Amino acid sequence: MAQRLRLEDVSYSYPLPGREDAPALQGAGLSVESGEVFCIAGANGSGKSTLAQVCAGLLVPASGQILYGEEAVVGRGALRGFRRKVGLLFQSPEDQLFADTVAKDIAFGPRNHGLKGEELKAAVVGAAGLVGLSLDELGARSPFSLSGGEKRRAALAGVLALEPEVLVLDEPFIGLDFEGRERLKSALVSYREERGASIIIVTHELSDVWPLATRFALLSKGRLLGVKDKSDLISGDTDLAALGMKLPQWGELARELLRLGIPVADQSDPLAIAGALASHREATGDR
Amino acid sequence: MRGNEGRLRIQVEGLSFTYPGASGEALRGVDLEFEQGRFYALLGRNGSGKSTLARCMNALLTPTGGRVLSCGIDTAEGSTRRDIHKLLAMVFQDPDTQMVATTVEEEVAFGPENLGLEPPEIRRRVDDALRLVGIAHLAGRQPLRLSQGQKQLVAIAGALGMNPAFLLSDESTSMLDYSARHRVLELFRDLRSMGMGVIHVTHFLEEAAEADAVVVLDEGRVVASGPPAKTLGDPERVRSLGLEPLAATVVAGELGRLGHPVPGGALDVKELVTWLNA
Repeated sequence: MAQRLRLEDVSYSYPLPGREDAPALQGAGLSVESGEVFCIAGANGSGKSTLAQVCAGLLVPASGQILYGEEAVVGRGALRGFRRKVGLLFQSPEDQLFADTVAKDIAFGPRNHGLKGEELKAAVVGAAGLVGLSLDELGARSPFSLSGGEKRRAALAGVLALEPEVLVLDEPFIGLDFEGRERLKSALVSYREERGASIIIVTHELSDVWPLATRFALLSKGRLLGVKDKSDLISGDTDLAALGMKLPQWGELARELLRLGIPVADQSDPLAIAGALASHREATGDR
Repeated sequence: MRGNEGRLRIQVEGLSFTYPGASGEALRGVDLEFEQGRFYALLGRNGSGKSTLARCMNALLTPTGGRVLSCGIDTAEGSTRRDIHKLLAMVFQDPDTQMVATTVEEEVAFGPENLGLEPPEIRRRVDDALRLVGIAHLAGRQPLRLSQGQKQLVAIAGALGMNPAFLLSDESTSMLDYSARHRVLELFRDLRSMGMGVIHVTHFLEEAAEADAVVVLDEGRVVASGPPAKTLGDPERVRSLGLEPLAATVVAGELGRLGHPVPGGALDVKELVTWLNA
């Protein structure tokens, strides 16, 4: 896969009046590929929201550089162009819904980007479809009358209507129940498949992204400790507890299978795991 | 250790609740009993009525049908609301919305001060609560400068300063990272061992698996209650209640289908390994 977004030695400090600036991010480097689901993981206060906003071009690094494709994002024109390619879903985005109807709320972004008439309508309908919201049913309603999960997806539709090539989501699963999380995940998968977009999910809860993400950038105290594959996390080469996180139970299970030397072709398939466990028990029971 | 007889209870009897102007009932005929010295997890999809139930128990909401006796006091009697708030302290999801004072110590003293206690008693309660929660070292700090997890511990200490019989946690762990959540859960278990009743509303089944008893609500009704293994052990049932079954539970379910049942099911990987080696 081709490199889509690259951060090189990026640092950022929030200005604090009368004090030395507190570095929220120090020397972070990572590369996200086209069509990849990439996770930025860290405990509360690790700097992951800062990193998300740098990835979305909202915060401009104090040092280091961002490359989009092969081009360095330098200067105001380049930054403006970069921001159009990247969409950011803030934490608790439902707090930012404001229009008097769901359809108008979703249309806000693309309208600002100059879309009009049929083109605008198509963008809104397409985005609502991707997140599984029926405009016939909900389009004319106030966004404030929606359930928590529907609000979150309406906010996501507003971002998707801009057709970003990179989608950054800051703690998108907080406060959603199982069904809400599953619906949001399937919206993300549809968008990635349809547009080949890269998706960056920021979270402190690895279990929420476990089936989706392929690589995990681990952050602690504003420093990037490394980018890990799922297999690295399963084999236990990182002390997640020291980073304020926990391997999800599916990962614990995979780790246990590894330890017991039980091979499973697809560790995301419960039936395959069960089959392997059953065979192992039969084999060892015969001794 | 007091016997069961001396334990205070929350008795929920045929409880219904309809929000003003709402078309449907948020709670429909709920019957439950909670007692001190036990740790309960309250689960259910969004909108199932969990928070409404918690709010009915500590008299923030008055039943529109049935009744709630919290430690023997009928929550419908407006004049006793203060007594109930003393006995059932509540902690909410977002600690930022719960901080009112400029130091941690003052924050924890806020509740006891409102009870009109004498200064030495307030001092004693604040010290005890801070020590119990393990944040005595933060006493002089500004609450809003603390981490999310620390803030939530301050909120819990504030609740404990009321010296309650029950602690009601309305998703108090949902915004916390794992370390902070782990610390809060540990604290809940300690409080239970000390004889307090803890009722924890959560989305995390791994947290619920550690409770003494689980109550699941759906569409305002109690649809499951009992020990975790019984209420959360069947993956299909768990999914039908809008909850995500645990990995070990899902695999144990598949093993059953393959003709290798795991007796009693499994809620964690350890239980699967035990079965494997049995």
